[in-house]
Amino acid sequence: MLDFAEALLDPWSTREQVIWNLQIVFMGMMVSLSCGLVGCFVVVRRMALLGDAVSHGILPGIVTAYLITDSLSIGPVWIGACLAGLGCGASIEWLRTKTPLREDAAMGLTFTSFFALGIVLLSLEAGATHLDPACFLYGEIGLTPLSPKLELWGLPSGNQALWNMGVVCLTTMISVIVFYRFLLVTSFDCSLARSLGMPVIWIQYGLMLLLALVVVASFESVGVILVLAMMILPPVSSAFLFHRLPSILMCCLPLSIFYSVAGLQLAYSMNFPISASMALAGIVIFLPCCLLGPNGGVLTNSKKLKTRKSSRDLSAN
Amino acid sequence: MRVALPKPLEIHDLTVAYQQKPVLYGIDLEVEPGSLVGIIGPNGAGKSTLIKAIMGIMKSVDGYVKVFGDSSRKALTRVGYVPQRESVDWDFPVTAMDVVLMGRFGHIGWFKRISKRDRSFASECLEQMNMLPYANRQIGNLSGGQQQRVFLARALAQQSDLYLMDEPFEGVDAITEKAIVDLLKNLRNQGKTLMVVHHDLSTAKDYFDHLALLNLRLVAYGKTEDVFTHDLLQKTYGGKLTVLSEVGSRKLNEKQPTPEAL
Amino acid sequence: MFLPIWKKLKYMLLILVLSKEASVLKAAQISSESDKDWINQAIRFWTFTDPSIQIIALGAILIGINCGLMGGYVVSRRLSMFGDTLSHAVLPGIAVGFMFSQSKNEAVLMIGATLSGFLGVGIISLLKRHTKMKEDSAMGLVLSGFYALGICLITYLQQSPNGGASGLESYLFGSLVGLSDRDLVPLCFCLSLIIICFILLNKELLLSGFDPSFARSVGLPVDILQFCIWILMAFCIVSSLQVIGVVLVSALLIIPAATAGLLTYRMSQILVFSGILGALSGIVGCFLSFMGERLPAGPVIVLCSTLLFLAVLFFSPARGILPSWFRTRRRGQRIRFENTLKACYQVLESRSFSSQSFPQTALAQRRGKSDAEIEKEIGVLIREGYATRQEFPTEQKSELPSETMVSLTPSGWEIASRMIRNHRLWELYLTKEASYAPDHVHDDAEKIEHVIGEKTVRQIERILDNPQRDPHGKPIPSQDDIDRGWLSPPLVADK
Repeated sequence: MLDFAEALLDPWSTREQVIWNLQIVFMGMMVSLSCGLVGCFVVVRRMALLGDAVSHGILPGIVTAYLITDSLSIGPVWIGACLAGLGCGASIEWLRTKTPLREDAAMGLTFTSFFALGIVLLSLEAGATHLDPACFLYGEIGLTPLSPKLELWGLPSGNQALWNMGVVCLTTMISVIVFYRFLLVTSFDCSLARSLGMPVIWIQYGLMLLLALVVVASFESVGVILVLAMMILPPVSSAFLFHRLPSILMCCLPLSIFYSVAGLQLAYSMNFPISASMALAGIVIFLPCCLLGPNGGVLTNSKKLKTRKSSRDLSAN
Repeated sequence: MRVALPKPLEIHDLTVAYQQKPVLYGIDLEVEPGSLVGIIGPNGAGKSTLIKAIMGIMKSVDGYVKVFGDSSRKALTRVGYVPQRESVDWDFPVTAMDVVLMGRFGHIGWFKRISKRDRSFASECLEQMNMLPYANRQIGNLSGGQQQRVFLARALAQQSDLYLMDEPFEGVDAITEKAIVDLLKNLRNQGKTLMVVHHDLSTAKDYFDHLALLNLRLVAYGKTEDVFTHDLLQKTYGGKLTVLSEVGSRKLNEKQPTPEAL
Repeated sequence: MFLPIWKKLKYMLLILVLSKEASVLKAAQISSESDKDWINQAIRFWTFTDPSIQIIALGAILIGINCGLMGGYVVSRRLSMFGDTLSHAVLPGIAVGFMFSQSKNEAVLMIGATLSGFLGVGIISLLKRHTKMKEDSAMGLVLSGFYALGICLITYLQQSPNGGASGLESYLFGSLVGLSDRDLVPLCFCLSLIIICFILLNKELLLSGFDPSFARSVGLPVDILQFCIWILMAFCIVSSLQVIGVVLVSALLIIPAATAGLLTYRMSQILVFSGILGALSGIVGCFLSFMGERLPAGPVIVLCSTLLFLAVLFFSPARGILPSWFRTRRRGQRIRFENTLKACYQVLESRSFSSQSFPQTALAQRRGKSDAEIEKEIGVLIREGYATRQEFPTEQKSELPSETMVSLTPSGWEIASRMIRNHRLWELYLTKEASYAPDHVHDDAEKIEHVIGEKTVRQIERILDNPQRDPHGKPIPSQDDIDRGWLSPPLVADK
C-alpha cells in the first residue's frame, strides 16, 4: 500500500516536477476537452470515422507547408493542415456523390491515400529533421514544457504550446456555446433546421473546420490516431450517464481532467507514452459507464432496452 | 371586397429526379388556405418526395414551388414539418421538451436566450398533446405514439401557417391516431393549411377534405367526394403509367443539353 | 464549387511527389554509387536476378493479390472501415505475442495478432448489439483504444532490459528491407487459403453477403461463413503488416477493390481484377521504393494503387469521367443536328410540301438564328450527306441576285420525318394517356424525341391505335411515309 502511494506521489515530489507535470496535465486537459466538445457533435451526427479520416488527411498539408516554408512555424502549418483536412472531406464527399463508390469505401480510400502521400513526402525531404512519422502516430505531449517560454510585460507567462492550445480550446468552447442551437438542430433534424432558415450547409462546413482546427492543434500532442480516441471517448462515455446534450457537453470537462491526470500517472508508473495512456485511462472509465451507466448501461438497462425494442416492434406491426 | 392573398402552396410543372430516376413528373397543384389535404398513392409514388420538394430539400429538375407566393426557401419559416418516423435518430440525447423547444427557435431569434414565455408555450403544446408528464424523458424512451405526439407538439410550437406531415399515422396506436386527427381538424378550423402524406385508403375518406392522388404525376386533386372515385383510384394504383416512367428515366439517363428553341 | 480546385491541388501534389522523387533518386544514386546509374538499377530490379530482389518482389505481389482478393469482399459488403479497425486492433496482439515468445517468431505473432483482431471485432458487435452505440462510434472506440494499448505495450517492451523488440516499430509503417524467404511462407499460406475458400464457397459467400436473411432461410450457416471471412481478413492483414504497416493495410484492402468496382459489376470479375490491380501496385510500388532508398514501401504501394484508381476513374472507357463527358458532348452535337433536320421538315410542311426544296433564309427564320450560323449547320448536313444546296436565279425580278435553295436527301428526309413522328406521337401520348394539357407537352416532347427508341414508339402507337394527327392537329408521318421518302398524298391533300 505504501509502495502504491509512493508511486503515486513520486512524480510530484519536487517543485520543479510539479510545475513540469502540471504543464503536461494542463495541456492534456485542454486537448481532450476541445476534442471532446467537437466529438460530441461528431458522434451524434454519426461522423465519428470522418474525424479519423480528417485527422489522417492533414498530414500531406503539414508536410507541404513545412517543405515550402522550411520551418514548423505555427501559421503555415495550420493553414496547410486545415486545407488538407478540408480537401480530404471534400474529396470524400465528391467520391461518394459523383462516383459509384459507397461512403465507407470513399472514406477509406481517401484518407489512406492522403496519409500515404504525407508519409512519402515526409520521407523524401524531412526524413532526418524535425518531422518524424512516429510523432504523427504517438504525439509528444511529454515535451510540452520544453516549448519556448513566453514573457508578457516582463513576467513569465507560460509557454508557446500551452497558449496555442489554450486559444484553440477557448475558440472551441465559445463556438460550441454560441452556435449550440444551430449545431443541435442541424444534427437532430436537418429538415427542421432548414425550415427555421438555418444555413445547414455552412454549419456543416463550420463543424468540419472546427474539427480540422482541433485535430491540427492536438495531433502534435497526442498523434493522429489518438485524436480519435479523445474525440469519441468523452461523448460515448457520458452518453451512458446523461440523456441531454448540454449535460453530455458539460461532462467533457471532468472527464478530460481525469484523462490527463490518470494518463500521466499511468505513463510514469508503467513507462508508457503519455498520450496512449490517456486513451487507456479513457477506456478504463468507459467500461464502468457502459456497464453500469443509468442511461442505457448494459447491466442496469438491458431489460428496459429489450422491452422498448419489443414494444417498438409491436407498434410497427 | 376581399384582398387576394397569395395561396399557401402553388406548384407548377414540378419534376424531381432521384439519382437520375424520375420520381415526380410535371406536378401542377394549387392549394387553398384552410384545406386539409391528404396525399395518397401507391408505394414509391413520390409522396414523401413531394413533401421534400416543397421544403426544398430535394432539388427539382424542372418547374417551381411557391409557398405563400414566395420561393419555398424564403417562406420556410411559415412551414411546419413533421418528419417520417424512420428518418429520426431516436437515440439522440434530447428530451421531449428539447424537441418541442426546437420548434420555437425560429421565433426566439438566433443568438438570444430561451425565455420563460417560450418554455411555457412549449409546455402548453405538450399539454395539448397530453405529453406534459413525459417532458423530461429522452425521446428514445417513449412509445411510438408518444414520439409522434412530441413531433406534433413541436409542429404546434412552430405556429406555422402551412404544415407538411410525412406519414404521421405510421406506427401509432389507435388513441394517438384519434388525437392526431382531432388536432389536424382543429388546426384546419383555425385557418391553417395541412398537407398530410397518408397510405391507408380506408381512412383517407374520413380524415381529409381534399385529396391529392399521386403516382409519379398528379392523377387528380380536389374535394374528397369528387376525387375519391373508383376510376381515379384505379388510375392511381393501376400500372398505366409505366411507359411514362420508363421513357422518363431514359430521358434523365441521357444527360443532354437542353435543345434550343425552334 | 471547390471540388475542381481540390482535384487540381491533389494532382499538383502528386506531380510534386513524382518530380521530387525523380530528382531525389538521381541525386541519391549519383552520390552513393557513381558507377551505376538508375537505369542499371532498374534493369537489376526487373530482371530479378538478385535473390533478395526476387523475395521482395514476390512478397509485394503476394500481398497485393491477397489484399486485392480479400478487398473484393470487404468493399462489396461495405466493410471498408471495418478493415481499417481490424488492422489497428491487431497491434496489441503483436506486442503480447512478442512478450510470450521473446522473439519475432512469426507464428506466435500471427496468432496473437489474429486473436486480438478477433477480440476487437467481437467488442464492436457486442457494443452494437447491447448498447445504444452506433457502429461508427463503436469502431472508432475499438480502433483507437486497441491502438493505444498496442502503442503502450510496444513502448514498454522496447524499454524492458532484454530488448530486441526494436523491430516491432516497423509494424507501424512497414518496410521491405527485412523481408526474408521465411516471411513468404505465411503470405503463400494465406493466399492459398483465400483461393481455396473463394473457389469452394463462392456462391455461399455471395448469397450470405448479399441477402443474409434469405441465405439463412435456405439453411446456410451465415454466422459461420461470416466467421470465415473474418479469419481470412485477419490473416490477410496480419501477414501483410510487416511490409505495409498497420496504418495503411486497409488502403490495400479498399483501393484495388474499389478500382475493380469501377470496371465491372460481376463479383467474380471484381475479384480477379482487384487481385491483378493489387499485384500491379505491389510490384510497381516495390520498384519505386527500391529505387528511392529512403522511400518506405507501404505508402508508395498505396500511392501506386491510388494512381491506378484515379486513372480508371477518369479514363475507363465505359464509366470514366472523361469519356462520358465526351459522350455527352457528342450527344449534344447530335441533338443540334437532328433539330436542324427537324426544322427543315417543318419548313417544308409550312409550305405544304409544294416543292422539294426551300430557301435557306426560311430555315434561318424558323430556327431564329443568324445566316452565318445556319450556313454552318447546313454545311454539317451537306457534309454528312443529308442535304444538298443549289444557287437559284430568282424567277421574278428583284434586288436579290440569287437565292440559296436547300433540299433534303432521302436519308435526311428519313431522320427528319422520324424525329417529327416521335415528337408528335409522344405529345399525343402525354395528352391522351397521361392527361397533360396540350399546351404543356411541347417542351417535354422536345427532350424526349431524341432518345425514344423504336420499340417504345411502336408501343405508344399501339396504345394510341395508330393515330393520324397530333394534339395540335398536324399530321403524324407514318412509317410508310418515312420509307417512301415523301408524305403520302391524302395527308398532303388534307393540308
